[in-house]
Amino acid sequence: MANLAYHQTPQARFARFVIYAVLVLVAIFYLAPLFVMISTSLKTLDEIRGGNLMSLPGSLNFDAWKTAWDSACTGVECGGMKGYFGNSLKMMIPSVLISTLVGAFNGYILSMWRFKGSDAFFMALLIGTFLPFQVVILPMAQVLGMLGIESGTTRLIMVHVIYGLQFTTLFFRNYYVTVPNELVKAARIDGAGFFRIFFSILLPISIPTIMVCLIWQTTQIWNDFLFGVVFSSGDGQPITVALNNLVNTSTGVKQYNVDMAAAIIAALPTLVVYAIGGKYFVRGLTAGAVKG
Amino acid sequence: MGALSIRNVKKSYGNTHILKGIDIEIEKGEFLILVGPSGCGKSTLLNMIAGLDDISSGEIAIGERVVNTLSPKDRDIAMVFQSYALYPNMTVRKNIAFGLDIRKVPKGEQDEIIGRVAKMLQMEHLLDRKPHQLSGGQRQRVAMGRALARNPALFLFDEPLSNLDAKLRVELRSEIKLLHQRLGTTIVYVTHDQIEAMTLADKIAVMKDGEVRQFGSPQQIYDSPADLYVAGFIGSPAMNFIPCELAEDAGRAVVALDSGDGNKQRIVLGAISDTQRAYVGKPVVLGVRPEQLTDTSSAHSERDDLQTLTATVAITEPTGPDTLVTVTLNGTKTVARCHPRAAGSPGEQVKLMLDPGKALLFDPATEKRLA
Repeated sequence: MANLAYHQTPQARFARFVIYAVLVLVAIFYLAPLFVMISTSLKTLDEIRGGNLMSLPGSLNFDAWKTAWDSACTGVECGGMKGYFGNSLKMMIPSVLISTLVGAFNGYILSMWRFKGSDAFFMALLIGTFLPFQVVILPMAQVLGMLGIESGTTRLIMVHVIYGLQFTTLFFRNYYVTVPNELVKAARIDGAGFFRIFFSILLPISIPTIMVCLIWQTTQIWNDFLFGVVFSSGDGQPITVALNNLVNTSTGVKQYNVDMAAAIIAALPTLVVYAIGGKYFVRGLTAGAVKG
Repeated sequence: MGALSIRNVKKSYGNTHILKGIDIEIEKGEFLILVGPSGCGKSTLLNMIAGLDDISSGEIAIGERVVNTLSPKDRDIAMVFQSYALYPNMTVRKNIAFGLDIRKVPKGEQDEIIGRVAKMLQMEHLLDRKPHQLSGGQRQRVAMGRALARNPALFLFDEPLSNLDAKLRVELRSEIKLLHQRLGTTIVYVTHDQIEAMTLADKIAVMKDGEVRQFGSPQQIYDSPADLYVAGFIGSPAMNFIPCELAEDAGRAVVALDSGDGNKQRIVLGAISDTQRAYVGKPVVLGVRPEQLTDTSSAHSERDDLQTLTATVAITEPTGPDTLVTVTLNGTKTVARCHPRAAGSPGEQVKLMLDPGKALLFDPATEKRLA
């Protein structure tokens, strides 16, 4: 790339200018909603009513954020988002960790210890990735009812682990088929057993794939609304459901600044995860992509 | 009883028979090479010796012990793989120590073993590096070190040099040979490269389609191949196979070679055997290695049994020390190894000498050598 920049004809320079102009425009287009959300959340209600959507706030006013966090009303409760933020964390962390670990284990078996019908099994699992949420809801509700699990958080953990497994299994399986099988043979001759090989050799070399699963699962589970609204209730609901309730609860004046602040709070964890792990995400997705 | 005995070992998946009854026995300290084209079952056999693959029927014994049902770690073996199979997340030191750890070798002893192995393979400076920081040759050396650290009764090598470039391959080949001479260990080595097989082995098993076509010393296999397949597989450039009709004259086998001008040149071979006599008047295949068909100046002219013939040069391929001259005999392209100055040029007539003592005869139908 560096070489290209040195000997450029005027046409090439113009083409480059057009490319960058388009990129900048697209970036603005995508970032505009975020800008509106942040600036609106910092305005007072008077400023919102008086100014236009794109105008900047007169002063930095964090009242709306405070309200959104601990006193906004979500239905009859008026405790803000903080409780629900905690709910989402309590549900997300175990779901992500369990589904990633079990997915790694599945991938290990499906690539290194193939059994009769393991490919058919993998195909069946793949079909699971295409199933829309709505299809799963009714049978899942029946199963949860039969198991008699009461707690909303536990129910959601179970649902998310089960629904996430086909994705994590797919990621790990596709990575492990690129790892030479001879590695496992060498370890077997060294005397390592099934679990020792997994924990001492394969898991430590899977960091990029682990990152992909963590990011993917964190985003999926944190942002899920449908499972949250169906399988939990009251103060056990995740933050996405609480945000919906907050925005739809009208007690007189609509507080756009509080709505915006609440929405950003709800989106913050996934933003942070992407900012930290984004580069692993691309690397990890392509790590298993060379051989299928 | 030898160091490794393979008795009537078979392997099948359903109706596909990968190995059709293998019998091999080697003594302690011998270097056995399993050679053959890909898909001949040589790697499967090695995996079965290692315990990584199940045996369908038959028996494998290492030393005095039948190991059919033992797990790999209990067979007293070590293995070196084509892809090196170093654990990528561990340093060289840890790679070697991994197996020792599992077998609960005390720490002090481990350090001693690692030091000894590293010294033997001149890789002390690599001990704290990770595999991805090593070159291909260094990786293979580490893989060998890991195997050496076990000090096993039997070493298994699965095409260990195939991923290396030509120069390094020759270098490591002689290193392996030297190591074998110094340690005197028993080795089973799989390769598809016939030169590796010839240079390293004490015993070669030439395999094809799940069978051992011939088992013997490199020289036996080179001089007296059992059939056309073995004769063509071992040796480079490959042996010439010239179709001709066998005749007998004064107790000697005689064939006629036509270099394309319709003139049948009589070639008198060695004394005819009883097996060969049954083929008199019938078509046979004459097997001649390129170095047994040379120009008149390269041949040992003091021998009076050498047969001369003339032929027209089609192609010359200089290799440096000699030039390979392709001529046509009985309608078949035949390669002769000549001195560069006596090679002639395309279209010219050359006079060639054939060593009748080394020439072989094969049955064209069964492909077996007529002893």
